[in-house]
Amino acid sequence: MEILSSLWSGFAVAALPINLALIFGGCFAGTLIGALPGLGPVNGVAILIPLTFAFGLDATSSMILLSAVYYGCMYGGRISAILLNIPGDEPAIMTTLDGYPMAKKGQAADALAISGLASFIGATLATIGLTLFAPMLAKAAIHFGPSDYFALYVMAFATIGGITGTDPRKTLLAAMLGLMLGTVGLDPSTGVARYTFGSFNLYDGFDPIVALVGLFAISEILFFLEERAHGGGLVPPGRVFPRFSRVREGLGASLRGSLIGFVAGILPGAGASLGAVMSYSFEKRLSDKGTFGQGDPRGVAAPEAGNNAASGGALIPMLTLGVPGSGTTAVMLAMLISLNIQPGPLLFQRSPDLVWGLVAALYLANLVLLILNLPLIGMFTRVLGLPAWCLMPLVVAISYLGVYAITHAAFDLMVMVGFGILGFVLRKLEFSLVPVVLGLLLGMDMENNLRRALSISGGDFTILVESPIAVTIYVLTIAFLALSLWLSRRSIVPTPS
Amino acid sequence: MTDRLAGLAFVLLATGYVWLSAGYTAGFGDPLGPAIFPRVVGIPAIILGLSLAIWPRHTAIWAGPAGLARQAAAVALLIFYALMLEPLGFVAASFVSILGLGLLMGATALAGVVTAGLAAPGLYVLFDRLMGLPLPLVGTWFG
Repeated sequence: MEILSSLWSGFAVAALPINLALIFGGCFAGTLIGALPGLGPVNGVAILIPLTFAFGLDATSSMILLSAVYYGCMYGGRISAILLNIPGDEPAIMTTLDGYPMAKKGQAADALAISGLASFIGATLATIGLTLFAPMLAKAAIHFGPSDYFALYVMAFATIGGITGTDPRKTLLAAMLGLMLGTVGLDPSTGVARYTFGSFNLYDGFDPIVALVGLFAISEILFFLEERAHGGGLVPPGRVFPRFSRVREGLGASLRGSLIGFVAGILPGAGASLGAVMSYSFEKRLSDKGTFGQGDPRGVAAPEAGNNAASGGALIPMLTLGVPGSGTTAVMLAMLISLNIQPGPLLFQRSPDLVWGLVAALYLANLVLLILNLPLIGMFTRVLGLPAWCLMPLVVAISYLGVYAITHAAFDLMVMVGFGILGFVLRKLEFSLVPVVLGLLLGMDMENNLRRALSISGGDFTILVESPIAVTIYVLTIAFLALSLWLSRRSIVPTPS
Repeated sequence: MTDRLAGLAFVLLATGYVWLSAGYTAGFGDPLGPAIFPRVVGIPAIILGLSLAIWPRHTAIWAGPAGLARQAAAVALLIFYALMLEPLGFVAASFVSILGLGLLMGATALAGVVTAGLAAPGLYVLFDRLMGLPLPLVGTWFG
């Protein structure tokens, strides 16, 4: 009951005209960004953050806008996956497997409708899950002490790479790089200038917003210049309207995919890509009769429901613990911290308007997206014809003007370019960027918790493993790391088939 | 091979990082002070970097000479844009940068000039005039 009344007041916040306008605008922009090959939710949200600052939106409205963009990107990612066989973003990779074959058979309209509905089911179920479970987790997390938080941060860094098969040593190194970059500047508790090399520009440290626009948006440009030819070409349009019978085939798969995706989203570090992969493989094992990969509607529905549900699930650890479950939520966390709002268990008590307004906005955004994505799909498909040489330079210009508008300093533009080059090199070397951002973001808080714990114990390190909560978290972390190490070893050894 | 280099780079970086932390002395009432966290992070980073240098797994494949040249030109343009935004003003600096990047990405000269010619003033009007983000119209070089 308490939840229902909170949700009701949340709808009152979300229904303010400005917030409704942001939901519409965000969903629209998000679908566009998601549909464009190469630009995913992380880039989309990263480019928009400086703008939300510059426009002086309050925290609730900014979060609503970014979440609408986030959800929109998850819907949009499937469009180019189905029509061009180019996933608009990483989680949409699984959608190409059956979506593109369907489109080649002239069933593009069916595939888009199935995936649109699957996205809606996944995202809505995840939002319901968020409504139910987030307050519970927040209540439990109030009992966490400094050493428990330190353990939680260790777990977040160790697991953020997920079990995607990348080298876990690189994930850890990337997180440590972020933590190192995060210590640049004045130490907040003693005022000692660390790693500034005498430059006053560095006394405030690196602004996480500037860093992440560089890491994600600018590095994407350098990546894009690598290979020139982006082939594909639109598939034959085929039928204009989807057939209800085909859409119905995907319903069961959507429900199963949503559940799996939601769980994958809550796990720190797993995120939407894993949600899509797990949903697809589960559905394939359950109902494949040789039709998967040839254009089976269930093969489109399951991963789309999975990745949309995962993106909703990923918001739970971000809001309740301040530990993001995916790259995009890490970027959103950056914005909240920059607005002086510390996500965590107390957020639900201190800023109920923000939390419940956001949850209500997510329900509305899903409805808006369903409406945008079923009848208006033709409009979005036309955008895919826009050439990259027109779009990518605009992304650069918007990144520059956004960063300049919040900092008014050419120095920060140079920092952004520097992070862009760093991001490019790291991605080439197969280091994930999300741990770097997380390290930069959470470093100060992690350090404060460590030092607080150690000053309670008078410098005795054993306090870190005294609380049962912390020990549980460390055990989970080690299990997770062992699993990902095992998976990454397996993936480099060619399996004899 | 690139893994070995990356591992070595991390070892050097983290060693320097830990070494510099020795200069950050403990404050009053803070038993371990500002140097403890850099060590907690830096020392494991040295070990992991060493492990990556000794047991590498991955070799990055870089772009061909043409790709690398395009990337280098893009970096030069991005630096130009960052340094020249204030001196030249937003519109002029954006025009040059959008045009340059467009050409690098395969636009024809005409299409590039038209895109940049529309986008640079268009973005200024959209963001500065309509949405109220202050951007410099004329740069400091032109008074």
